[in-house]
Amino acid sequence: MSEKLLIVKDLSTTFATAGGPLPAVDGVSFDLEQNETLGIVGESGSGKTVLSRTIMGLQPRTNVTVTGSATINGFEVVGASEKAKREIWGTEVAMVFQDPMTSLNPVMRIGKQIDEALRVRLGMDRAAAKARAIELLELVGIPSPVERYNAFPGQLSGGMRQRVVIATALACSPKLLMADEPTTGLDVTIQAQILNLLDELKERLKMSVILVTHDLGVVATRTSRIVVMYAGRIVETGNTRDVFYHHRMPYTRALLESSPKVSNLSHTRLTTIPGRPPNLLNLSDGCSFAPRCSYATDQCHLVRPPLQAADEPGHAFACWNPLPTTRGASSS
Amino acid sequence: MTDTRQPLLRVTDLTVTFGHHHHAVSAVAGVSFEIFEGETLGLVGESGCGKSTTGKALMRIVEPTSGTIELGGVDVTKQRGRALRNARTHMQMIFQDPISSLNPRRRVKDIVAEPIDCWKTVEGAERDALISDLLSKVGIDPQVYGNRYARQFSGGQCQRISIARSLAMRPKLLICDEMVSALDVSVQAQILNLLEDLKAEYGLTLLFIAHDLAVVKNVSDRVAVMYLGKICEIGPADALYDAPAHPYTKFLLGAALEADPDSPMHSQVLEGEPPSPMNPPTGCRFRTRCPNATERCANEEPLPQEMAPGHLVACHYPLSITRR
Repeated sequence: MSEKLLIVKDLSTTFATAGGPLPAVDGVSFDLEQNETLGIVGESGSGKTVLSRTIMGLQPRTNVTVTGSATINGFEVVGASEKAKREIWGTEVAMVFQDPMTSLNPVMRIGKQIDEALRVRLGMDRAAAKARAIELLELVGIPSPVERYNAFPGQLSGGMRQRVVIATALACSPKLLMADEPTTGLDVTIQAQILNLLDELKERLKMSVILVTHDLGVVATRTSRIVVMYAGRIVETGNTRDVFYHHRMPYTRALLESSPKVSNLSHTRLTTIPGRPPNLLNLSDGCSFAPRCSYATDQCHLVRPPLQAADEPGHAFACWNPLPTTRGASSS
Repeated sequence: MTDTRQPLLRVTDLTVTFGHHHHAVSAVAGVSFEIFEGETLGLVGESGCGKSTTGKALMRIVEPTSGTIELGGVDVTKQRGRALRNARTHMQMIFQDPISSLNPRRRVKDIVAEPIDCWKTVEGAERDALISDLLSKVGIDPQVYGNRYARQFSGGQCQRISIARSLAMRPKLLICDEMVSALDVSVQAQILNLLEDLKAEYGLTLLFIAHDLAVVKNVSDRVAVMYLGKICEIGPADALYDAPAHPYTKFLLGAALEADPDSPMHSQVLEGEPPSPMNPPTGCRFRTRCPNATERCANEEPLPQEMAPGHLVACHYPLSITRR
């Protein structure tokens, strides 16, 4: 299991806007093993969606510059032609988008939307594609798949539609499934169903999964590693347990502490992060979090901290004044 | 709760039905609850359970089909014209989408002043002072931002402006409908803390409607859980979360994700989806998904029964209240 499925190196995505270049993703590097689930966490505007779309090669054709490298199973996505990328979409990498209401064609039967990939990419004939599509619908837990094959998306609930979207993504057995906020907008009980389904499919189909989300609850128990993003950069990364329990970057701690917990007593005062995320058009040379950070020194405002290794293997953080290590204090 | 406190709001058998005859959807199907002065009642449930419709019916934004709403002892259900306008000054609502609930082409101070100018409660310099005070209270500097347009603000700031506007009439009851669900966690925490501060300062009573169980627990004294138009359980927040008596509440809590890798994974996941409110199940509305359902649940609608003081559950077979 040492072979890396995905290697991202110094990846940057910059949009040309009227207000100047906007670095949505800035020098991001990480990798992903086979059959691993990685979580990418961040608030809105942190670049997590742009990062996942850049890895897919889905950025717009104009007004965008991508540098660095992202290789999926040996295929370099950055700079590849549309035609070449079409060869890996579906079979190597597939994506589940956030909004199940809009990522399906409302006037096309759901069966046809799954068939499409099978017939075009795998060259199946009509009957074989239909049989496989029904199999996929069954796989994602849609009741009475034979009847549902002819249903329109509007006849299904949000949770069912997200299952259909997952079925289309799985049609060509991708090795990497990117799920961008797959459960945002779904009810909690439906969210639990979809996350369990993704877990189960990952094991059964031996896929790797990247779970992009703003919700720390989603990644806490579902991922083995986490990448925390802020203002387009990775500020902390490591094994899920290390990031949750032994984080060194003040932003990670602030993010964890500001989310209310079910186990808190009612009227627990929440810890807040003062201020707002920075304007990406007008970033300082220093740490992007420095203006909101209570530990910030002059150095933080002037020089950008690089990712440096922490005590645990694979754990790294970008901070000049990291939180003290909590190793030993809590033994887990 | 045999309480000596007076309920500020008493809702009895409230129903809201949309459409007629075969197309009738009973969004709220007989909901009763009280909110005591100075307390926060959380109302949770999944989408389509009727929690927002309940909030809107209290404000008479949608008309209740039957039932009564009493605010401070006065029946406001059938009020019209001037009397209704008067009653509404005591209740204000904050909506989910902070950006679309403010007019993008108006200045912030005019938005906040709107209710004051309608009612002419204060005028002239006193009015301007009040607006500046309200804006400072919610953390918006009136000198710097008062003349800006609503479109120039972020979601969190817009929600602050909405709060300032809702406080302008010094309401007794504030209805918050998913007011933080569109915000990032760091901003959400700021708004929730602000709400707690203002509640203490203005002596507000809150109905806090949300789908996020952790958020609701954080702000509420008592919590009501809705499923398909009915309240299935209501009780003190800590007790209800610690020991849910209704199977639905238990599933709902089990599905909530804690930001903690060591939190126990609940193997039991609620299967299926809520049935259509156009054709609700007979008897108990949760029986089609409930693992404990029997024939009795199909024939007989469970009535709210008291499990512990103030803790009511509408279930024939409530889970025994044992602390987790």
